[in-house]
Amino acid sequence: MADEDETKEYRWESGYEKTWEAIKEDDDGLLESNVADLVARAKRKRAALKATGAIQLGMMRHLFVVVDASACMFLQDLKPTRFLCVLKLLEVFVHEFFDLNPISQLGILTTKMKRSEQITVLAGNQKKHIEALQQLKDLSCEGEPSLQNSLERAMNGLKNMPAHSSREILVLFGSLTTCDPGDIQKTIKALKDNNIRVSIIGLAAEVRICREIAKKTGGTYNVLIDDHHLKELILSQVQPPAVAGSLEASLVKMGFPGGTPSVNDGTSDSSADHAPAYCLCHIDSETSSLMGPNGYNCPQCGSRYCELPVECKQCGLTLVSAPHLARSYHHLFPIKPFMERAQVPDTTHCFACAKLFLEAETNVYECENCHQIVCLDCDLFIRETLHTCPGCASDPVTAQMKTN
Amino acid sequence: MLELKRALDAKGHCLLEMPSGTGKTTTLLSLIVAYMKAHPLDLTKLVYCSRTVPEIEKVMEELRKLMNYYEKEMGMEQNILGLALSSRKNLCIHPSVSKEREGKVVDGRCYSLTASFVRARHAADDAVPICEFYEGFDAHGKEFPLPPGVYNLDDLKEYGQTKRWCPYFLARHTIIHANIVVYSYHYLLDPKIAEVVSKEISKSSVVVFDEAHNIDNVCIDSMSVKITKRLLDKCSNSITILETTISNMKENDSKRLEKEYKRLVEGLRDATIARETDMALVNPVLPSEILEEAVPGTIRTAEHFVAFLKRVVEYIKTRLRVQHVVQESPAGFLRDIHTKVCIDRKPLRFTAERLASLIRTLEISDLTDFSPLVTVSHFATLVSTYTKGFTIIIEPFEDRAPTVSNPILYFSCLDSSIAIKPVFNRFQTVVITSGTLSPLDMYPKILDFHPVIMTSFTMTLARPCILPMIVSKGNDQVAMSSRYETREDTAVIRNYGNLLVEVAAAVPDGIVCFFTSYLYLETIVSSWYDQGIIDQLQRHKLLFIETQDAAETSLALINYIKACDNGRGAVLLSVARGKVSEGIDFDHHLGRAVLMFGIPYVYTQSRILRARLEYLRDQFQIRENDFLTFDAMRHAAQCLGRCMRGKTDYGIMVLADKRFSRADKRSKLPKWIQEHLKDTNCNLSTEECVQICKRWLRQMAQPFSREDQLGISLLTLEQLQSEEMQKKILQRAQGV
Repeated sequence: MADEDETKEYRWESGYEKTWEAIKEDDDGLLESNVADLVARAKRKRAALKATGAIQLGMMRHLFVVVDASACMFLQDLKPTRFLCVLKLLEVFVHEFFDLNPISQLGILTTKMKRSEQITVLAGNQKKHIEALQQLKDLSCEGEPSLQNSLERAMNGLKNMPAHSSREILVLFGSLTTCDPGDIQKTIKALKDNNIRVSIIGLAAEVRICREIAKKTGGTYNVLIDDHHLKELILSQVQPPAVAGSLEASLVKMGFPGGTPSVNDGTSDSSADHAPAYCLCHIDSETSSLMGPNGYNCPQCGSRYCELPVECKQCGLTLVSAPHLARSYHHLFPIKPFMERAQVPDTTHCFACAKLFLEAETNVYECENCHQIVCLDCDLFIRETLHTCPGCASDPVTAQMKTN
Repeated sequence: MLELKRALDAKGHCLLEMPSGTGKTTTLLSLIVAYMKAHPLDLTKLVYCSRTVPEIEKVMEELRKLMNYYEKEMGMEQNILGLALSSRKNLCIHPSVSKEREGKVVDGRCYSLTASFVRARHAADDAVPICEFYEGFDAHGKEFPLPPGVYNLDDLKEYGQTKRWCPYFLARHTIIHANIVVYSYHYLLDPKIAEVVSKEISKSSVVVFDEAHNIDNVCIDSMSVKITKRLLDKCSNSITILETTISNMKENDSKRLEKEYKRLVEGLRDATIARETDMALVNPVLPSEILEEAVPGTIRTAEHFVAFLKRVVEYIKTRLRVQHVVQESPAGFLRDIHTKVCIDRKPLRFTAERLASLIRTLEISDLTDFSPLVTVSHFATLVSTYTKGFTIIIEPFEDRAPTVSNPILYFSCLDSSIAIKPVFNRFQTVVITSGTLSPLDMYPKILDFHPVIMTSFTMTLARPCILPMIVSKGNDQVAMSSRYETREDTAVIRNYGNLLVEVAAAVPDGIVCFFTSYLYLETIVSSWYDQGIIDQLQRHKLLFIETQDAAETSLALINYIKACDNGRGAVLLSVARGKVSEGIDFDHHLGRAVLMFGIPYVYTQSRILRARLEYLRDQFQIRENDFLTFDAMRHAAQCLGRCMRGKTDYGIMVLADKRFSRADKRSKLPKWIQEHLKDTNCNLSTEECVQICKRWLRQMAQPFSREDQLGISLLTLEQLQSEEMQKKILQRAQGV
């Protein structure tokens, strides 16, 4: 298909979407219902895998997101186009990512015209990333992507990160081909040697080399079915992966800057902390302005930042606040997996959302501690978002035990 | 398996179609071995014929696995001997001979080292070289049979190396008492070789022909002879050599010639040891009555025979000097040769045997030069032996280049049942199997046998892993077809191009396209180039083209695989009936899609084909059109089957021709493809096709593991024994 035509294409010209087929019941019993079944099972598997408490999870992550910006990203099988859809979802992803992994860092790359471009460097500032993503929307997508170039570039950025943090690359790959300058196998080997894990989300179909990269570097490879599935896939990357055994445990020096003056009013902080100063996050940008007394000062060198968490530009100290660490904490102690069991006759509804169990509902899930029954959706919600069992939390006895 | 058991019980022949990658080989081997163990008297031997050396090796691997399993389960050594046999070229371990590349040269040199007279000469004079491995085998090998086990070609070589026995002759010798023999079709079908190698295989054997969809062509090829002018020139040379050798010998050693003469008077029955080495090269179809008779007087003496040969060659030369195409029956040819050069039918029949004998007597050790003469002698024997089912066609020039004189004499076999008949008659069960045998009822007709079982199996799959589609029109609604009338139409060519470009944009990794002929491929590619389609295509994938040159094609294939492996993606344009469509598998990412541009009909203007069609119509009541369609569809199915090599694999199959959707074509596809070809996918335009592809590819890319197959296409022991499953199996068994 010629690319010029693509941009002009109207909604009604863009191809058949037989939406009715998705809800059609299959006579063969082999088709889409079956595939949906596979997906549900995979979902459950993922949940189960994450739930096994024994593994150590990386709290500090360094992640490069590579976005394909080649010609095929203009295709409209995701609305409005693949590229816009992906950027939109990435915004959500960035937000969620820093929410769940507050002391991690992220960087964004794009690849087009056989080259790779850096959009943002590895940094812990979520606003900056989201801004960059919004600017990307005007980027024109053209040429072919280069998997090797972008992996190499990301690798150079990740190579020097400390060993106690995880190094990851997430590739959103729309194209079915890659145009590489050299032997990609060497790159894969280098990635492996550097302990970098590459996860790839394909937007069109299974590409062999992607599967191979993901498999060899210990990442995951998935291909979307539709935009909902894509969102699910992208968000599944928010959860920190299990740490590869070789990572050394080490003490990390961190700074906890003093709170804002409004909180600390009247205490004996030195007045220099609250003097107006330039914020170091914005000092390079043209819009930088003198900050008021609000902000966080690095306890080591005294530089001012408007936001936490951040790595101090002056002295390289990681600045966090206590709640951030606390939020990362649940990765270390995930709740135990719920037992899958056939429907129990005496419970008629889900404990969490009060949904009535239908006849069709085959499996329900039971918490080992409080023996409450929840449905599949709640099970996933509890695991992925809540991180605490509502049954246990509302039961005074178990709740007491936990706090003690 | 059930069907096979029935066939074995009934001691009849059977025809089974099983999709590739579903454990065809294992099923056959395990059941037959089990049967051999249970009824050692009824069934003594399994002869497994495959097509190529790699396929033979694959079968041996399966057999080894099976034997290991037996050993593990039963806890003792199994008393079964399985071995593979191939040509001298693949088995030779002689330090210098094994370095030769060409099979014929290896054969010739081997002969020059192992022939009985060479060895006799060696006994007198140590300077005459012989093969120490053969000597070793001859001295000890015959008394000690090979210990039970599974031997593939490399194992045989290794065994030969350690014992210093010749692996080739060892294998040949062992065939007689081995339980399982795996070798190429030709050892059984080609009468020239079968006579030597497979003669002593007992009647109570099972013969399996794997990948047998082309078996009729193999049969025909093994019985046909092609004589060109160059070949005849070479013949004249070798005749001169014969003459000089004879006259030399007359001066030195006339006794030997006399001895030969006497032997010939007594008849051709020479059950000497020499047979197993010397006659391997020259021995055409000999009806057994010839062996009983004495060689006719006219060609008994060496000089007379050489003069006789000279006359035959000269006669054929004059026949080749024609200006127009001649087609005649063997009977006509015989009468003509009788009137023109006064040669009777009887001496002609003995030509091949007489030549073999002469060469033996003359102690000519380098046989490579004589192969043209041997070919002519085969021709002479065949033409005088069979008057039915053959035809002679002499073409003064090729159709494509009518100005260049290039006369060729085709002696072509029309009846594929002639070569295979002895096999059917001799062995109690013959199993013919392949991934693509549809339509099944054609094979019994053209091979002239009566199978007791004829079944096509489908695959039980956990997901719909093939997507056959018939694309009949382009986006502009112009019908797509490779019909002769619309072949040159630019609109059709452009539509084919657009289809390929769009599929290339939607399908990852490798795509294989098949065209109906090299000529068609060339014209299409050149007009695609003019239309800019090639440029568009190269934006998505690299382009490789199969040519008639084998070396070039294999280079293209290597690079194609490389491009698929590193993610660039590639398109391979090749030809149905070409090398790519037959032997090469495009599994997993190497062939995510196969496109079939047009229906691969054979070149119908060819005279040989015309003659064969006529013969089929007269003898077997097969309509010409039926046969042509059958032939085209089996090749199409063969091409389509290239991309599916197992249950975890998946692939798209696009049939781009309007005519495929007609019932007579569609119903001739194998059942396992038909099952997935839904009515809604039978009359698509390019765009619809691409939409379906995209959706399907996404579904197929979802994680798929072994557990997902459990219960559907993979059964645990408990599941197999469960009542429900048993019922299902029983139902299926009765349904068939």
